Amino acid sequence: MNQKELIEYIKNNFKGIENIKSIDEKQFSITVQKERIINILSFLKLSNFKELALITAVDWIKEEKIEVVYILFSYEYEQQLIVKTYIDRQEPSIESIKNLWEIATMYERDVHEFFGIDFIGNDDKRPLILHNWKDIPPLRKDFDSLKYSNTIFGKFKKDKE
Amino acid sequence: MDYKKKSFFAPFNSLKYLLKDPVTIRYPKENKKTYPEVEGVSPQYRGRHFNDLEKCIGCGTCEDICPTGAIQMVEFDDVKEKNGATKKRPVIDYGRCCFCGFCVDVCTTSSLGMSREYVNNFPTPPEATEDTQGEIISKYFIIRPDLNFSKNQGWITDNNYSWLELKRVVMGIFNPEERSNSFLEIVKGYTKEEAILEARRCVACGLCKDACPIHMDIPEYIMAIFNDDVKESVKEIYKTNPLPEVCGRVCTHKCESVCSLGHRGEPVAIRWLKRYAVDSLPLEEYKNVIANKPIKQAGKSVAIIGGGPAGLSAAYFLSFMGYRITIFEKEAKAGGIARYGIPAYRLPEDALNKDIDFIKSLGVEIKTNTNIDKNMFEKIYKEYDAIIISTGFDLPRSTNLSRNGMENVVGALPFLHDVREFLSNKISDVKITDNVLVIGGGNVAFDCSRSVARLQKMKFGKVKVTQVCLETPDIIPADKEEIEESAEEGVTLIYGMGPKEIILDDKGNIKGLDFMKCESVFDENMRFNPKFNENERLICEATMIIEAIGQAPDYSFIPEEYRSKMKFERGKIVLDENYSTGIEKIFAAGDIVKGPDIVNGIATGLNAAKGVDKLFN
Repeated sequence: MNQKELIEYIKNNFKGIENIKSIDEKQFSITVQKERIINILSFLKLSNFKELALITAVDWIKEEKIEVVYILFSYEYEQQLIVKTYIDRQEPSIESIKNLWEIATMYERDVHEFFGIDFIGNDDKRPLILHNWKDIPPLRKDFDSLKYSNTIFGKFKKDKE
Repeated sequence: MDYKKKSFFAPFNSLKYLLKDPVTIRYPKENKKTYPEVEGVSPQYRGRHFNDLEKCIGCGTCEDICPTGAIQMVEFDDVKEKNGATKKRPVIDYGRCCFCGFCVDVCTTSSLGMSREYVNNFPTPPEATEDTQGEIISKYFIIRPDLNFSKNQGWITDNNYSWLELKRVVMGIFNPEERSNSFLEIVKGYTKEEAILEARRCVACGLCKDACPIHMDIPEYIMAIFNDDVKESVKEIYKTNPLPEVCGRVCTHKCESVCSLGHRGEPVAIRWLKRYAVDSLPLEEYKNVIANKPIKQAGKSVAIIGGGPAGLSAAYFLSFMGYRITIFEKEAKAGGIARYGIPAYRLPEDALNKDIDFIKSLGVEIKTNTNIDKNMFEKIYKEYDAIIISTGFDLPRSTNLSRNGMENVVGALPFLHDVREFLSNKISDVKITDNVLVIGGGNVAFDCSRSVARLQKMKFGKVKVTQVCLETPDIIPADKEEIEESAEEGVTLIYGMGPKEIILDDKGNIKGLDFMKCESVFDENMRFNPKFNENERLICEATMIIEAIGQAPDYSFIPEEYRSKMKFERGKIVLDENYSTGIEKIFAAGDIVKGPDIVNGIATGLNAAKGVDKLFN
């Protein structure tokens, strides 16, 4: 199936898709509601999008939303598929997909660390990279790196030597 | 989807890979290089910084952009001072640094780069508690980025990839055919959109501020232009510069020659941005924008002799201090060299009048057509509380040619004066012939030859101007644009020749000029002392000669008793730190203090004003 046929196929066989569009000849994206995320991902996994390449997020601070992004890949169709969903920014939570893909455990840990999203069902919340982190998650748009730096380390003093 | 239905032979499918090369690395048996050209990590790795301290100009853009406040500019004693650079250099705190590389991306000189060294894997010192952690880090993790890592370069900037906009917004200029038959201004000026785009390029380092003789708040007024707030911009400009229309066109722009963007690309068009700001605000609005009331009333009166840039500048600043000002100007209009020395295609009448009208509106009285002689000087000295002399260099220097009774040999300044008068319909004609020779290599000489070209085109329909200068192309004092533009307008330029004698025909009219080769212009002490070779000669035919080899001051109006007390050095008056001449209540400003330059004139005007104010307080 080429990309056009794939889009048609997904449209016909899955209900509740908000938006589906082509990005370029090797990429297309789907937007679904938060509640439908496990359904769409398991459907896509069965439809030969076998690889979960990445989970990440985008903080839309003005819209008060966080966009969670799942990037899937199909070796058979040579297509990359970006599945997006929007969740509330104040209490960001979404179901974990660790039962669909084992690797999602690590990705969700990472996204939790940097965006503060709670993945329901994934209890492993140990930080991967940040050391002694006491502030809001650093990839949120309202995180002020300069203020953080000055509170944690104090104002930059001159080299005393 | 039928992916569950698989062929019976599917497992055997993989046998086809049996004889192919593996795509994976069988570590540790194999150790394939990831980057064939370099050992180890990526060639664009962002590790610890290195900085070429000689190349760095200490502009501080890296400090401004750092998102974690990890960079601080610190004064270094072991770097050489150079023009257009501070002695500050960046020091980086690796506790905070997040290795984003922004500092490298915005580096204006590309002196800062990142290496492929990364040894700080931040083991928190074992003795650190939460309270002492910050202190330990600031002691051990602050590293001065010098040349230590420069052999192992990682992430560096090049001009193909840069956050800085290295190219100027192109300024509209009339092409030679359009401009060469009139005195219309050549440079069209920026539109609003172009000005905002150009203002956006500025990194607000402030190096220009140090280079400017009057220390204009350049980053501030450019920022205001960027915010589309012309009023604020004009307000910032008028804090230090009372003649922005003039400076926006003909300033020597020392600011642009030190602009930090000029190291990798073209400097910001500071002069033209200033021109845009003042051009786009009408004169009626000035009063609402610039505070025009004196701070205090001093109640004293000051006479200024000479209404050129320096005199106007002194008048502007003094009127803010509350003095009553009278300017004595010998010409029909104020402006001095800006009006009678600069051709209209570079500085149109309207622009100059706008600046002067604003200064007049502050209550400055300008007495035009008033020539000061010795008697008049005595009278002014008794009548006023202080005098500022700003008469400028208004006598033309002459070559040593014998020119007895030759009408067609004129000086540069009288010629340019006549051209200005002709354009404003004061006189009906300028004397000009169809074959003119201009001697000189400075901007004034080019002003003459380009004015001649325009007049010839208007009068005879064709241009025949030859300009001869002593200098070779590498030491010619004129601006590069002047040389290029004059060539486009039809001026023939001959380098490296000095005049020997004028050739006359039978009737005693000028036929041409005999030139000899100039071997060297300066002597060992870099003083002007040309040496000629008389064997190499060149004869230029011409029927009129304009000498543009410099100007000299005229002090003949100062009575002997005062003049004997003043000190002079190579034509200029020597002043003390208050700009006083040594005689009580006589001050000086302008070209007679610092040599010919408009922006220096404004600076000396300000300093003389300060000196006068100091005298009474």
